[in-house]
Amino acid sequence: MNNFKGNILIVDDEKGLRLGTKRLLEEEGYNVTAAENGTEGLQFGTITDFDVAVIDLKMPDIDGLEVLKEIKSIHPNTVCFIATAFASYETAIQATRIGAFGYIPKPFSPEELIYQVEQGLKQRKLILDAHRLELEREKNLLELANEKSRLNAIIKSISEGIIIINTNGDLAYYNYAAIKLLNINNIQIGEKILDKLPVHVTDIVNKIFQSDKIMLKSYTTEFSLHADNELFLEAACTPIPNPDGSLAGVVIILSNITGYKRIEIIKNQFVSMVAHELKTPLAAVQGFLNIIMDQSIKLSPEKQHDYIQRSTIRLKSLTDLVNDLLDISRFEMKTKEREIFEVHLEEIICSTIQMLELELNKKGITVEKNIEINLPFIKADINEITRMVTNLLSNAIKYNKDKGKIFIDISSSKNYVELKVRDTGIGLKPDEKQKLFSEFYRAKNDMTRGISGTGLGLSIVKRIVDSYFGLIEVESEYGVGTTFLIKLPINPN
Amino acid sequence: MVTENVKKILLVDDDIDLLEQNKLLLESKGFEVITAENSEDGLKVFQKEKPDAAIIDLIMEQMDSGFVLCYKIKKTEHGKKIPVFMLTSATYETGFKFSSSSKEEKEWIKCDGIINKPVVIEDLLAKLENFNYQH
Repeated sequence: MNNFKGNILIVDDEKGLRLGTKRLLEEEGYNVTAAENGTEGLQFGTITDFDVAVIDLKMPDIDGLEVLKEIKSIHPNTVCFIATAFASYETAIQATRIGAFGYIPKPFSPEELIYQVEQGLKQRKLILDAHRLELEREKNLLELANEKSRLNAIIKSISEGIIIINTNGDLAYYNYAAIKLLNINNIQIGEKILDKLPVHVTDIVNKIFQSDKIMLKSYTTEFSLHADNELFLEAACTPIPNPDGSLAGVVIILSNITGYKRIEIIKNQFVSMVAHELKTPLAAVQGFLNIIMDQSIKLSPEKQHDYIQRSTIRLKSLTDLVNDLLDISRFEMKTKEREIFEVHLEEIICSTIQMLELELNKKGITVEKNIEINLPFIKADINEITRMVTNLLSNAIKYNKDKGKIFIDISSSKNYVELKVRDTGIGLKPDEKQKLFSEFYRAKNDMTRGISGTGLGLSIVKRIVDSYFGLIEVESEYGVGTTFLIKLPINPN
Repeated sequence: MVTENVKKILLVDDDIDLLEQNKLLLESKGFEVITAENSEDGLKVFQKEKPDAAIIDLIMEQMDSGFVLCYKIKKTEHGKKIPVFMLTSATYETGFKFSSSSKEEKEWIKCDGIINKPVVIEDLLAKLENFNYQH
């Protein structure tokens, strides 16, 4: 046998012709199956997907056209020939209609048969190739469709707004986020869109349209859509070039930057407050020194001494302020690793009272403690808890009356340790209470005159309490006193 | 040396150190100085004493109290005629976006100038001298 060329089915009831054909084709290198009647031909032809079938038209049992029809219905890619001595135009048409590729008139010469079979095989190859290509194409299309819908899903779901405009100013694409962010309704692909966009964006887009050279970079702008600055947007406009380098359009990406803006505003406010708080004591010290040095102003030695002393006090408060700011900064940046150990609140209270003894004695203030027996430890950083207690107690001293009292209560519940610090001081007005924990807020009224402070003490206390997931509350009556209540979790984790 | 138009100056500042310093400085130049430590008193003293100029600390108690007092003074008949300066240590570069450089800002702040702390008396005198009484 030569190289395998193909599977051929011969269906013919004429034994001599059948075997002769078989032998002839086998010598040519074909793999040949021979069926001696229509029934056998039908059986073989429907089981195996032959490359080529040559079917005799007239057979005693089943008509050749029937066999052809059945084979074609199961294996549409089998190339079938009808062979017959009773060639007529009508049967030829009929056979072709059913699916025959060709028509071999009997009797045929070996060359004629081989030629027809070769043609049939070529056809078979074409059919199979076409089929394979079709499958590949379908597969590719499926992938393409998937890719497209995936991209679409991504673009639709992202929170950034996307708008694409062609050089005529027509809307070429947009996503839901874009119309939501810009608060525009009823826009359609293809419509003139520039007038509906914020002027900041339109300006940039027009600039891109008018420039001679396409720069492949984004031009960004920030703007607020509402007069009350509720929503800050950033628009990044990027030119899209055609393959030939000319401008195809502009893609606009819109981002909601309200959060960043809010942080920026808070930061700026904080910076300007810090600047103010730092510069004021410096100005006071500078002012005193200027007056002392001013030859034209005559000062008594007592007055000079007074001014120097007051300068010292201002510098001391400046130092306190810088220290408090550094504390806050450390806290915010978390530069210092927390050292969490079991901390006993009573011990901290006692050591803090000892530390503040001088100030207590100066104002003649007494401290009364009521501390639960077997108070549980809390898990915390001892430096932070000490700082918290120091700030609370020094406030209770500073804002107390002379010969006043401080009551310290510590108790515990299942999960919390509760610290109450009450003073018999000047108290707070209701509007002062609200602002108490904000940076640089200091209650200022007739009764607080002469009390120095950075305005950061309680803000630091609150930061510490919050960081342990605790709770701080203040109760106060103006002229009577203030109570701070702090609840700290025994185990914050 | 007292300028021709200004003899009596109102100083409002809740920082008693700065208030005393500026009072001393102005008195050393021959001015009569009346003082107040908050904006409420500031307005009362202004209405009673009718000073020839006012210098008001910008940030007292509440952030905008200096602004508010200035605004109230400028709304009075007398306030429109006299120079009112705001005193501040928080200048432009610290983030407070105000100055009297542009017309709009001047319109909004309603004051006739900003003076930085600590006060340089020569600059203040120059500002008083240059005040335009044409309005």
